[in-house]
Amino acid sequence: MATHNSEIRGRSFGDRVLFGLVILLALAMAGPVLYVIALSLKDNKELMVDPHSVFHLPYTIKNYIDTVGTSNVFSWVLNSFIVAGGLTVLTLVLSSLAGYGFARLNFPGRDVLFVIVLLGLAVPEQAVLIARHQIFSWLGLHNTYPGLILPGLSSAFGVFLMTQYFRAIPKELDEAAILDNASRFRVFWKVLLPLTVPAQATLGIFTFLGAWNDYFWPLISATKKEMFTLTVGIASTQQNFAQSQGIGFLMAQAVFAGAPILIIYLFFQKYIVTAVSGAAVR
Amino acid sequence: MTASIDIRQVTKRFGSLTVLDELSLAIPANEFVVFLGPSGCGKSTLLRMIAGLESVDSGEILINGERIDDQPPGQRGVAMVFQSYALYPHMTVRENMAFGLKNISVERSVIDARIAEAARMLEIGHLLDRKPGQLSGGQRQRVAIGRAVVKEPKAFLFDEPLSNLDAALRTRTRIELAQLHQRLKSTMIFVTHDQIEAMTLADRIVVMNNRKIEQIGAPMEIYNRPATRFVAGFVGAPAMNFLPVKIRAEGGLVTAATDAGLSIKTAIPSEGLAAGDYELGLRSEHVRITQPAGDAAEGVVDVLERLGERTLVYVRLSDGHQIVGSDSGDSRVAVGDRVGLAFEAAKAHLFDASGRAWHGGEGGHG
Repeated sequence: MATHNSEIRGRSFGDRVLFGLVILLALAMAGPVLYVIALSLKDNKELMVDPHSVFHLPYTIKNYIDTVGTSNVFSWVLNSFIVAGGLTVLTLVLSSLAGYGFARLNFPGRDVLFVIVLLGLAVPEQAVLIARHQIFSWLGLHNTYPGLILPGLSSAFGVFLMTQYFRAIPKELDEAAILDNASRFRVFWKVLLPLTVPAQATLGIFTFLGAWNDYFWPLISATKKEMFTLTVGIASTQQNFAQSQGIGFLMAQAVFAGAPILIIYLFFQKYIVTAVSGAAVR
Repeated sequence: MTASIDIRQVTKRFGSLTVLDELSLAIPANEFVVFLGPSGCGKSTLLRMIAGLESVDSGEILINGERIDDQPPGQRGVAMVFQSYALYPHMTVRENMAFGLKNISVERSVIDARIAEAARMLEIGHLLDRKPGQLSGGQRQRVAIGRAVVKEPKAFLFDEPLSNLDAALRTRTRIELAQLHQRLKSTMIFVTHDQIEAMTLADRIVVMNNRKIEQIGAPMEIYNRPATRFVAGFVGAPAMNFLPVKIRAEGGLVTAATDAGLSIKTAIPSEGLAAGDYELGLRSEHVRITQPAGDAAEGVVDVLERLGERTLVYVRLSDGHQIVGSDSGDSRVAVGDRVGLAFEAAKAHLFDASGRAWHGGEGGHG
C-alpha cells in the first residue's frame, strides 16, 4: 500500500514538474509573439523615444489602420489565399492520384519512377531556381497565378505520403468493391480516398502553411505590385530605417500576415498535431 | 438464386511457380462445398479465381454452363466474404450493404427492402447505422455476410471467414452458416484449413494439397475412407496413427506385421496388393487401451490428453513408434504406466508407397 501511495505521489510530482516545464516552454514560445503584438500597438514615435514604453499605456491601433490603409494589403491577402489555396487543392489532387497509382497500379517502370520522385526530396529549391526562372520567363508565366502555383505542385513529399497511406489500406477493400461492381475510379473515389482524409489533412495543412509563408519564389516571380503575395507585399512597404523609425508599423504588418495562419491553426489544431507527430501515417 | 459451378482443367501460375495444375471440379447447384487443405495448397487461389480476383492461366470456369473466367468480377454474380471481412470503414453498415446494389443502379426501395430482410435474418437490424469500427468481430462477420446476402448472388464464396473469431463465436457462427445455407438454398464455397469447420459445414469436402485435389467426398466418406495418406493424416484430430508394416495374404485378407512383431489381421482384401512395404493407418478411436498382456501390442504411456468424454493416450511402443489410443473420460491410466492396445483391425487402412489408400469392406482402395 505504501509503495502504491508513493508511486502515486511520485507520479503526481513528476506531472507537476512536467507541467511547470510545459508552462515555461509555452511562455518562451508565446513571449516574442506577445512582444510583437505589444509593439504593434504602440506609436512609432513613442517607441523611438523610449523603447520600454511598450510595457505601459497608451496603446493605439494606428499602425493597423496604416497597414490596411496605406498599402494594397487586401489584394495581397487575396493573392496569398489564391496561391496557397490553389496550390493546396491541386497538390492534394495530384498527390492522391499519384499515390494511388504508385500504391495500387502495376505499370512498367513504376518502382524506378517512384525512386525518381523520391529523389526530388533531395533537390533544394535554390538548385533549380535560375533554370525555373528562365523557363517561366520564356513561357511568360511570371506575374501570373499559374507562375506562383506551378512550382509547388511537384510535391515529392505529398506523393510519398499519399503512396504510403494508400499502401497501408488493405487490398481486400479494393477487391470487395470490385466484387461490388465498382469501377476502378469508383473504388478510388468512394472507397479509398475517403480513408485517406487524415493524410490529406496533414498534406493540405503543410502545403497551405508552406505556400502562405513562402517568400523566396514569389519575390522572384511576382514583380508587379498587384501580383504580390502578402509576404512579399508587406516586405515591400518597409522603408529604410524601419527597424528604428517604424518598428510598431512593422510589427503590425507581421501580426496582420500571421493572423490567417493563426485562425487556420485554431480550426485544424487536431490535424496539425497529428501531422507533426507523424501519427497520421498508420 | 443458385448456380452450378464447373471448373475445367484450370491452371494458375505465379511467375515460374505453378499454384494449381489442371484442376477440375464440378459443384452442383445448392451444394455447400468446402475447400480444405494446408496453407499454400492453392485453395484460396482457386476461390479467388472463381471470384475473378485472380486470372486463369489456362482452363475454364463456368457458372450455370456459362463461361465466366473472362468476365469482370462484378459481373459473375458471386459474392465473397473475406477473412478480414473487408467492410468499408467509413460507411455505415447500411451503406456497406447498399454499396454493391447502388453500383448496379438498383432502385432505392428494393435496396431498402433487401437490407431490411438481410438484417432481420442475420439479427443486425440494430447495427445498421453504426460504422464497422463500432462493431465486435462477430458483428462485423454478420455484416460481411449480410453484404453478400443482399446481392442475391448465384454463389457465395467464403475465404476463411471464421478464423478471426474466438473459439466460442466460431462454433456459433458455424452453426448459423449451416442454417443460412439451409434457408437460402444457395451454392456456397467455403475455404478453410480447419477440418472441424469442413466436417461440420460441408455437403462435400474438396481436400487439396500441393497444387491438386487429393479427394472429393462427403465428410464421413473423407474421414472413413481417405483416398490418400495425406487425406488420412490431415483430416481427423488427433491425426491417424501410421505404422510401417509388411503385408501378407491370409484367407483373401491382408495381415499386416510390424518389425516389432505386432500382427494385425485387417479386413482389407489382399487381391491386387503386391507384397512389400506399406503403412497401416488406424484412428485413435479404433485403438483401445487395455491391460498389458505381455505381447507386442503394449507400450508405455507418454502423454495423456483428457478431453472430457474420452481420454487420448499416447503410447510409446517397444520399437519407438508412438500410437494414440482412446480410453474412457475417467481413465485411471497415468503417464509412465505400461498399457496394452486392442486394435479394431476391421477399421484399419493401408497406404502404399505412393500414398494410395486401401480400405476394408466394399471396394478395396479408396
